[in-house]
Amino acid sequence: MIKTVNLTKKFGDLLVFEDVNFKIEKGERVVIIGPSGAGKSTFIRCLNFIEFPTSGDVYFDGKKIDENSNLPAIRQRIGMVFQHFNLFPHLTALQNVTIAPIKVKRMSEKEANEIAMYYLSKVGLADRINHYPSQLSGGEKQRIAIARALAMKPDLMLFDEPTSALDVEMVKEVLDTIEKLAFEGMTMIVVTHEISFAKEVADRLIFMADHHIVEENTPSEFFAHPRTERAKKFLNKIVNI
Amino acid sequence: MHLWHNFSAIWRSVPFLLKGLPITLSLTGLSGLIGVGIGLILALMKISKNKLFRWFALVYIDLFRGTPLLLQIMIVYYALPLNIDAFSAAIIALSLNAAAYLAEIFRAGIESISKGQMEAALSVGMNYSQAMRYIIIPQTIRRIIPPTTNEIVALLKDTSLVMVIGLAEIVYKAKQIGSATANFLTPLMFAAILYLIFTIPLTRYAEKLERRFSRGD
Repeated sequence: MIKTVNLTKKFGDLLVFEDVNFKIEKGERVVIIGPSGAGKSTFIRCLNFIEFPTSGDVYFDGKKIDENSNLPAIRQRIGMVFQHFNLFPHLTALQNVTIAPIKVKRMSEKEANEIAMYYLSKVGLADRINHYPSQLSGGEKQRIAIARALAMKPDLMLFDEPTSALDVEMVKEVLDTIEKLAFEGMTMIVVTHEISFAKEVADRLIFMADHHIVEENTPSEFFAHPRTERAKKFLNKIVNI
Repeated sequence: MHLWHNFSAIWRSVPFLLKGLPITLSLTGLSGLIGVGIGLILALMKISKNKLFRWFALVYIDLFRGTPLLLQIMIVYYALPLNIDAFSAAIIALSLNAAAYLAEIFRAGIESISKGQMEAALSVGMNYSQAMRYIIIPQTIRRIIPPTTNEIVALLKDTSLVMVIGLAEIVYKAKQIGSATANFLTPLMFAAILYLIFTIPLTRYAEKLERRFSRGD
């Protein structure tokens, strides 16, 4: 579904990641873990061209995409959930979910509302539709953001550290929502520090460190028998494996 | 007795003072409107990727904020070979000056919207102009209305400076009454009250909006 070839990103002279070769097939659930600054977030942001890669190629459904591609059309098919939610503060929860179907897909308001209600119920927030983001908790905001992405019926979901900005007691409700999606067969790439979530959900785990993909394995294998020194060092620093 | 005599003379001259009001208000309204238009263009120039645009906006804003408005009014009316009446000259000077201050308000407003808003809008498939129209600009407007209202209040007060080019606005009229009745205190106080009738409600309105919008974030 998505493939990168020698993908590299630099901010000026600063190298973020280099020569990343990555592939995800339909229905796969990939978790990316690694120390901060390894380039994980920037990497998935390059997949939907929210960030432009410096060199290398991204293929979506076999077609190479670059800055001249019809990016809005591609991004409609790739949902994204951000660390800091990025809900639209001037819109209600319902409007946050319906605005793209209405303005981008030219859907009628009635149809968009029905779809929005379906996904808002799915994330357990049907009773919050008229609330503004400022009136919602962090966990609720993130679940609205998930519904907003799902309402465009994407083929692939990108989660960029979806629970990192949350209070501890709200992490579970968001992870449960993502897990539910995973078990329904949604193709997804999740950047996260949640080890148990990774074990539970991922078909494949990617360990990124020092600007590269260092190791790629099933989660159970990776946590039980890390092959590289870098991974061992990283895992030693994490408690509660 | 003397004061009373003067007061009744003042009272008779109130309609005369009020004749300055339409000039003050039309200068404020017109210059405010034109200033908002030019200010918006300048703000967009200042954040554009084009170096020449950025440079132009920077120099413009520095020039108009760095020199006295009084001087600008006199330059437009007396020094530039424009051959226009005092009212047009006043409009030109006041709008160009207001534009410089408004441009900074607008620029700050646009830049205050977090980068994540544009990213989220793009991520759901909006193109750049849809993202600006439905996500960035509505949020920007909420943020700039209160400081813009304050700027219009400042403009309303600054219109008094156009008396130096002979425009008979409120302060000019008050001074005329003062000269004719040998009592400056009463007409000038009356002029002050006239300004306050407009500036206080506008300021309160801006404060109310500011409170409302800061709650909505």
